[in-house]
Amino acid sequence: MAVTTQQGKAPPSQAELLYQAQLRKERLFRAQVGASWGVLFLILIFLFSGQEIKLGSFQYQTIQLDSEFILKNLSFIAKGLGQTLLISVLSIFVAMTLALLAALGRLSTFPPIYAISTFYVSLIRGTPLYLQIFFFFLALPQLGINLSGVVAGVTALGLNYGAYMSETFRAGLSSVGKGQREAAMALGMTPGQTMKRVILPQALRFAIPPMGNDFISMTKDSALVSATGFVHELMWRAVKVGRAQFNNLEALIMAAMFYWVLTLILTYFQSKLEARLAKGDR
Amino acid sequence: MKKIFTFASLLVAVSLVLTACGGGGGSTASDLLGAITERGYILVSTDPNYAPQSFLNTEGSRPSDTKCPSDALTTAEMQGFDVDVAKAIGEALGVETCFATPSWDAITAGSWADKWDVSVGSMTVTTARQEILDFSVPYYYTPAVVAVAADSGIDSVEGLAGQAVCAGAATTYEFWLNGDMEGLGLPEASVYASVPEGVTVVPLETDQECAQAIAAGRTDFVAYVTSETVVDANIAEGMPVVKLDGAVYSEDLAAAFDKGSSLDTASLRAKVDEVFTAMHEDGRLTALSMQWFEMDLTAAPNQ
Repeated sequence: MAVTTQQGKAPPSQAELLYQAQLRKERLFRAQVGASWGVLFLILIFLFSGQEIKLGSFQYQTIQLDSEFILKNLSFIAKGLGQTLLISVLSIFVAMTLALLAALGRLSTFPPIYAISTFYVSLIRGTPLYLQIFFFFLALPQLGINLSGVVAGVTALGLNYGAYMSETFRAGLSSVGKGQREAAMALGMTPGQTMKRVILPQALRFAIPPMGNDFISMTKDSALVSATGFVHELMWRAVKVGRAQFNNLEALIMAAMFYWVLTLILTYFQSKLEARLAKGDR
Repeated sequence: MKKIFTFASLLVAVSLVLTACGGGGGSTASDLLGAITERGYILVSTDPNYAPQSFLNTEGSRPSDTKCPSDALTTAEMQGFDVDVAKAIGEALGVETCFATPSWDAITAGSWADKWDVSVGSMTVTTARQEILDFSVPYYYTPAVVAVAADSGIDSVEGLAGQAVCAGAATTYEFWLNGDMEGLGLPEASVYASVPEGVTVVPLETDQECAQAIAAGRTDFVAYVTSETVVDANIAEGMPVVKLDGAVYSEDLAAAFDKGSSLDTASLRAKVDEVFTAMHEDGRLTALSMQWFEMDLTAAPNQ
């Protein structure tokens, strides 16, 4: 440090040079990936532009979309975003609660608790989500339990993702070394305190990034809830206006774009979150 | 972390409460009509996949003062013939009309679990559906008629005896020609004539082809059976065919009620019958039919 101030510029060390080169390489790679994404996106737009390509005898007509239909129905389909997000957010909370309980049950040494947890995961993972949504909406009324479309959808999505996410939680919980538990016990903590103060904070650091993935995938699976007919989210709206006006192509592409943009936004936040949680690793 | 889990458990609690309120609960009325008047809206199911009967009004927006449940659509968001008929029922009951939008097969399957009150969805009254649903009087009809080649000289259904007659394959028209009343599946009250002896059935891909074959001068058959609207259109196009007087049967389109409803539907059914009868008499149904179909489909087929 002292040398630097005296001479103004010190020749960079070998290690620093290597590090700089590596950074440059990474930056270049990212820039090139970004540019390629741009090109791919432009190609996608061009494919749906309705332009005609003529190269000598080769002729190709790109897909023509009905822009009048798109403009007219954009706001109608967009109104479904709220329902899509509402279902996803409610479901993820139900799923998180169930997943944590199931994961804790999985670590239990008490056989009935362990059995309940594994039974739940096996049953739910062994049946299709689509079936579960219909089960809660159409089959339960036969037993006198009448759920609205949203509640049936949230219950099914929550139970389903809860089962899958319990594996994530379990991985997180078992990633915390046995020594941590023993150390906490040696300090005189009760099992509850150990879980709350020592195990969970460390386990969640591992569990949260994959949970973000599950949340993103859930926002897309929420489209299945449209099958009840009582939840007017993105998919329901796109299917109904598309069919009624014979513009399935435009309507479904519009819904697809909404889901994609939603996913891009959520992915961005997820990578931020992941980076923040990873800080502790250094 | 603690906050997140408190929030999560709160949400679970809220959804459980929502569950408890799920099925129109809290009503003290003993029958469906009473419950509807009490809550101030009637929940009508209709599948918005069928224009011009029922489809979405994508430009309409939900009024802020609506009583409709959040998962139902308001009259502003729907349009069509069935929608207008449903609106008239709501007006007659002095309540707001709201629309539930389950898929069509969920409506015809019965066992609605009180998720909606009535179906106003151009449902054909069939014997199979009568086992699980109650029907109102029809609010419009799709009569099936016989059209004969203009030069055949046949002037009544009885005149078809021993002749070859065309119909679209696997349609109810073909079932009627074969005398297959079970396949036809219509209640006795809407079948007005039985097929004469010795008719040879010629099934073609669609009933349009029957008319075109006659127009082309082919003599494989002298007549065809199809809906009155198709025959009227054929005649309007100048095809050399004549419509025989009187429908042979009709598909009666009516409002439907769930036999498995937890609340008694009898008084609501009586009220809807009353509304439809009045609308037939004062010409409101005719006007709606002209508006949406550009023809009157509401006249009862007379035999």
